[in-house]
Amino acid sequence: MSVFERLNWFRIICWLILAVILIVTVTPLWVMLKTALMPSSEVFHHSTAWWPTNPTLINFERVLGLLSTEESLKAGGSGAKVNFSLAMLNSVIFTGIIVVMQTMSAAAAAYAFARLRFPGNTLIFGLFVASMMIPGVVTFIPNFILIRDLGWLNTTMGMVAPFCLMQGFSVFFLRQFFLALPKELEEAAYIEGASHFYIFYRIAIPLSITPLITIATLIGINMWNEFLWPYLVAKDESHQVLTVALQGFKSQTPQGQPDWTGLMAATAISVLPTIGLLVVFGRNVVESIQFSGSK
Amino acid sequence: MKLKYLITTTLALASCQWVQAAEVKYMLWDSNQLPAYQQCATDFQAKNPDISIKITQAGWNDYWTAISTGFVSGTAPDVFTNHLAKYPEFAKSEQLVDLAPLIARDQVASDQYEAGLYEVWGRDGKQYGLPKDWDTIAFIVNMDIAKQAGVSLEELQTMEWNPKDGGSFEQTIRKLTLDEAGNNASSDKFDKSKVKVYGFQTPGGGGMMGQTEWSYLAVSNGFKFHDKVWDNKYYYDDPKLVETISYLAGLPDKGVSAPYEQTKSLGPDAMFVGGKAAMVPQGSWMISYFKDNAKFPTAWVPLPKGPNGQRATMFNGLADSIWVGSKVQEEAWKWVKYLGSAECQATVAAKGVVFPAIKGMAEKAMEAHKAGGIDSSAFITMSKEKTFLAPIADNGSQVDDLMKTSLESIFIGKVDAATALKEANAKINALGQ
Amino acid sequence: MKTLSAVSFLWQPFSRERRTETFTGYALILPALIGFSLFYAIPLIRAFELSFTDWNMLRAPRFIGLDNYIQMWNDGRFWNGMKFSFYYVLLNIPLQTALGLFLAVAMDRLTRSIIVRSVILLPYLLSNVLVALIWLWMLDPILGIVNSVITSLGFDRQAFLGSPSQALATIAGINIWRHMGLVAILFLAGLQNIPRYLYEAAAIEGASEWQMFKHITLPLLRPVMVFVLVTSVTGSFQIFDTVAVTSAGGPYDSTNVIVHYIIQNAFSFYKMGYASAMSMALCLVMVLYTLIQMRLMRASESDLA
Repeated sequence: MSVFERLNWFRIICWLILAVILIVTVTPLWVMLKTALMPSSEVFHHSTAWWPTNPTLINFERVLGLLSTEESLKAGGSGAKVNFSLAMLNSVIFTGIIVVMQTMSAAAAAYAFARLRFPGNTLIFGLFVASMMIPGVVTFIPNFILIRDLGWLNTTMGMVAPFCLMQGFSVFFLRQFFLALPKELEEAAYIEGASHFYIFYRIAIPLSITPLITIATLIGINMWNEFLWPYLVAKDESHQVLTVALQGFKSQTPQGQPDWTGLMAATAISVLPTIGLLVVFGRNVVESIQFSGSK
Repeated sequence: MKLKYLITTTLALASCQWVQAAEVKYMLWDSNQLPAYQQCATDFQAKNPDISIKITQAGWNDYWTAISTGFVSGTAPDVFTNHLAKYPEFAKSEQLVDLAPLIARDQVASDQYEAGLYEVWGRDGKQYGLPKDWDTIAFIVNMDIAKQAGVSLEELQTMEWNPKDGGSFEQTIRKLTLDEAGNNASSDKFDKSKVKVYGFQTPGGGGMMGQTEWSYLAVSNGFKFHDKVWDNKYYYDDPKLVETISYLAGLPDKGVSAPYEQTKSLGPDAMFVGGKAAMVPQGSWMISYFKDNAKFPTAWVPLPKGPNGQRATMFNGLADSIWVGSKVQEEAWKWVKYLGSAECQATVAAKGVVFPAIKGMAEKAMEAHKAGGIDSSAFITMSKEKTFLAPIADNGSQVDDLMKTSLESIFIGKVDAATALKEANAKINALGQ
Repeated sequence: MKTLSAVSFLWQPFSRERRTETFTGYALILPALIGFSLFYAIPLIRAFELSFTDWNMLRAPRFIGLDNYIQMWNDGRFWNGMKFSFYYVLLNIPLQTALGLFLAVAMDRLTRSIIVRSVILLPYLLSNVLVALIWLWMLDPILGIVNSVITSLGFDRQAFLGSPSQALATIAGINIWRHMGLVAILFLAGLQNIPRYLYEAAAIEGASEWQMFKHITLPLLRPVMVFVLVTSVTGSFQIFDTVAVTSAGGPYDSTNVIVHYIIQNAFSFYKMGYASAMSMALCLVMVLYTLIQMRLMRASESDLA
């Protein structure tokens, strides 16, 4: 009886905490949406209101480039023309290439680190993990110059190059998973004369679809939000990704305010594809990541 | 058929390549000015069919990242809008084309610009930019609040200030300040812990220039930054500046300004537009921002007269510079020359965004403002009072950073103004050694 | 055996099998190794060279020996930056990890609602910069919605990002908001591999929910915990975006964390050589931390083998 009671109280408290966390999680997103729905001239007057005053879709219209320069300047915007569909397409290409290439390359390396014995295994893996510790400012300029020397500025190649082969996080994540995979199947295949590569490709990969999708999704989210690199490498409109196209909504002058309503509308729109991604792969990501070494 | 089509298009493309116009890449940060300069570019291209102008705009922070990495990697724009705080380092590192020989060759009249604008862009006989606009500082006032407080426009236009008791300036801002019970700050019942509208809000601490923050008061109190432009010896420990900063830092204690900590995030412009501050100092480049965003009647009024009997304002301006790495320098120069010409500046004036640098154009911009319902004459009044140039010298960004930190320590109340400024000034002058 | 060099190891007469294994191993890591060399190793070596020079990016670097390192040793702001980054990690990691763990356990034992799971991951979908801007907007002391709630409940207005004593903690809070869902999802993955029967057996023996958490969940979650800690600590130590957007290192230098100070030196002061020297110091700290963590991790792996 007492156990039952204690259990219940414990659960109720947990539910309460969970409810608070969920409210705290959702509230800022609501404020973002609410602000996006307000006319720009009202945001400072009603910044503390919980509901949009005079709701309007004008901010979404100007983010999508549906208004003329003069109209969007009047609505408090930057007047910069955003070719939304092109930027969206560029973002999809940029993110897509990196997701596919980085996942494949990381999976191969992670499997080798987890399963194969070769000289330097631990050392190289250690270096890969350590690469996560290198501050971006160190690699930024040399990488930029390298891309320029290769003639890859304003090309898809230049945009994806630093990301598509290697990121410490992905290799680390997948290695942890491969370590936890039961060895029996692979050993059986090896005794039957299968090559290491065949085992990796035909046994390990099919067994790891879930973590592969998980890491692909995480890479996708991060790359979708990447700003500085594509901004510097691909300024031409033909290659602009969404984050770059939408940067006009940030602060324009040294002391100026960002275009708040436009910014919030832009954020809301740009996050939609990632939500879509979550819905498609969501079950895998949130339901059954098979990661862990606890077996 | 298909093949023939392919061949013709290839040939057409190839011949296009042959007569393709030289492309000049131009960059600026202020999106409000984009339409005006786009218009200039269209007019320019009509006259120079062999040159095409490609304008890119980027927000302030991203802009400078793009420019400096552009220098390193050889991808900077051919022509870009330059800022006084940034150009000395670029000039020192030989990234900017010296325009002086070109100006001499093409006989561009340097005296067509308002006094001082051309000179600040030069050093040791070299010229690093051609002026495009100027700006001064004024106060913007929420006239709804002023009316309620019984403060007339005339009263606002004739304020006087001193660092001891604040003069009529302080009397006015006390009247403009209201607590939740509706008492103003000159009343005995005023509750400074429950202020609804602050009478005046200074825009933070400011860095080495204090352009909108304190320079106008300090100079009207007798302060000067240094003896002359490019002089690395500063006078930030001047008692005149100490007095001014102490006065400004003391305003929150009187309840007429919000505490410094509370104004850091969105800042005074947002407070003003949101109706929480009745009066703030701002530069003329913000005219259209307030026009589009303030939902109540506003007025721009001249800054108060200081103890030396004069109003004072920083007189500052932007210029266009050419990057040394540009492969189309001759075309770039043509474009810069056009940007600095009466023709383009008249176009800019007509859009009523900024005051053009050429003499007499400012009145045109004022007309354009008036047509849009804004009286911007306060800025022109200010430009005819005591004006001073922004302090420029080497190590600008480090000087700026030292001053920013020092001023912050004063406004937060950690260190008193005399001590903090003395320490900062010593460090700053050590940099210039 | 252990003393054999890599070359003699490769040429051992008996180990044909080992040789194909070695070959496959190198072949599999090759793409990643190319990426690593081009975009991490070479830039790092270049930065190491630059740390001995005076370089403003625009003129040619000038060799100055150890001057940058000597300057760094005497630079109070460098040490402050290190200290602030360290504080930041302390403010950020324990709470973020605890909340992530709580959420993961709640999603495992309390509710399996897919909506709950999706919602807690939502903040992570926004980029750092946008998250920072949204919070800057909400946390404004005078116009922000958070302070309007605080004052309507009868509490004093809080300065948050404007106050030297609160700014760093506020930034930590913003990032906890963004990352706790991600941490929870990672933990959840680990939890789902813990065999159910352990809980059932414990329940029969009358263990409380808390006891089960302490004696079953926590110990079996250790490998995931190590992964989360290594990645999130290194991530937090590199905090920059949020600082740049919300406080720019201020007020009064109270949030000038080390990476912010490095970037300030590199791109505002044009002191690339000095920034490189500080980056080297930062790398050293982080590599030491990782080495320790890797030790712990290896230990935990052998525990479970």
